[in-house]
Amino acid sequence: MQADRKTRRRRRLKLGNAVNATLVLALGFTTMVGLISPADSTVGLTADIFLQLAGVLAAVAVLVGVSNLLFVHLGRLPRVRKGGFYSLVVILSAAAVTAVQVLDRTDAWGGDLEGEKVGPRLFGVIQVTLESALAGLVFFFLVYAAYRLMRHRVTWANLVFLAAVLIVLVGWLPLKDWEGVGDVRDWLMEIPVTAGSRGLLIGIGLGTVTVGMRVLLGRERAYREP
Amino acid sequence: MTVENLDLIAGWAGLVLTLMVFSYLLADNFLYRIAVHVLIGTAGAYIAIAAVEEVLLPWLRATVFSDDAETSASIRALGMLPIFLGVLLLLKASPRFARMGNLGTVFMIGIGTGVALVGAVIGTVLPLARDASNSFDHESVLNGAVLLVGTLCTLVYFQYLSRRRSDGEPANRVHIRTLRFVGQGFVTLTLGALYASAILTSLSIFSSVIQDQLRFILDQLGG
Repeated sequence: MQADRKTRRRRRLKLGNAVNATLVLALGFTTMVGLISPADSTVGLTADIFLQLAGVLAAVAVLVGVSNLLFVHLGRLPRVRKGGFYSLVVILSAAAVTAVQVLDRTDAWGGDLEGEKVGPRLFGVIQVTLESALAGLVFFFLVYAAYRLMRHRVTWANLVFLAAVLIVLVGWLPLKDWEGVGDVRDWLMEIPVTAGSRGLLIGIGLGTVTVGMRVLLGRERAYREP
Repeated sequence: MTVENLDLIAGWAGLVLTLMVFSYLLADNFLYRIAVHVLIGTAGAYIAIAAVEEVLLPWLRATVFSDDAETSASIRALGMLPIFLGVLLLLKASPRFARMGNLGTVFMIGIGTGVALVGAVIGTVLPLARDASNSFDHESVLNGAVLLVGTLCTLVYFQYLSRRRSDGEPANRVHIRTLRFVGQGFVTLTLGALYASAILTSLSIFSSVIQDQLRFILDQLGG
């Protein structure tokens, strides 16, 4: 009896997978054909509607993700020793930004701030400042990692890598006596690096096509049922 | 509060947050972690606000809550479809109802795959292959040859097909090994140049951040 139920359950799961795979194939194929068809054709208009629906669905998915983030941090609040304080910082930051946005939209600021939009200023201070500082911090890690590369092991590939790094960095310097390095850098960027990046990008494109075809044909199922 | 006061507070807040981030250069410390968590909270809120204000509300106003009398019931229903699928995504948190949440994922994956395939072929592979075939349009034949050989060898470097020897070890022919070796050189050169470009970009950002904060401090000191 139990085995029978298991078999039935397995059959149902397989049916679910088949339905999902068919939907993916239909949606993907229609979108693909629609994108390469004239925009005013039926399939072109259908693809346009699909893209709009996907955009809205992505926005809802973003909201679901942010809600999940906040719920996870809310759950961590009582555990002060396990990062509860940092969770409080996350929630307060998110609440402050939301509150400022609501006040901006309702024009609730009084006094000298009447008619002002505080949200963009806050964005400039917190978001832009923090992201710029973090991007600036990356400089130190990149230089340190290049230094560590040669300490770890010296191979011909490491030497070529470091030579390319040094040529590009030194060639960037506006030194009068080192104009030759600048020319080498320009040639390096224009010819070998263009060839290498072209090969890498074509490889990425071919990889995308391969994985895309596998997804459409149901061989790669990220939506597989548990 | 005046706008000038608001700018002053904003400037001090920016300075403090910058110092908190750069404190990581000494060691991983709690000031840095606070700054990062502030970034997470504000980024999450801004993304959610942008999603609601720029995508969801205009969509709902144009479909479900449209004032236009000609808006048919089917368009209103279509307007609710992505919201419904999005709500289904919430069910993925429950093991029992996760299957229903797959419908939203299927929708995204299907359309996303179609867009990715067209984008990869029309936007990447075909234009780059055309550029590679025009390599000899370059002024110098040598440069053209380097461009073509570099592109082809880079592609060969990422193929892993080989015959198996009698002892079970994979073996490639000499010319394939040579092409792969040359391809590895081009990949290494490219990654080195990109790495140096990343260093230069981050250095520019770092100097810009320092310049902004120094200017603010000098303004406060009356310098």
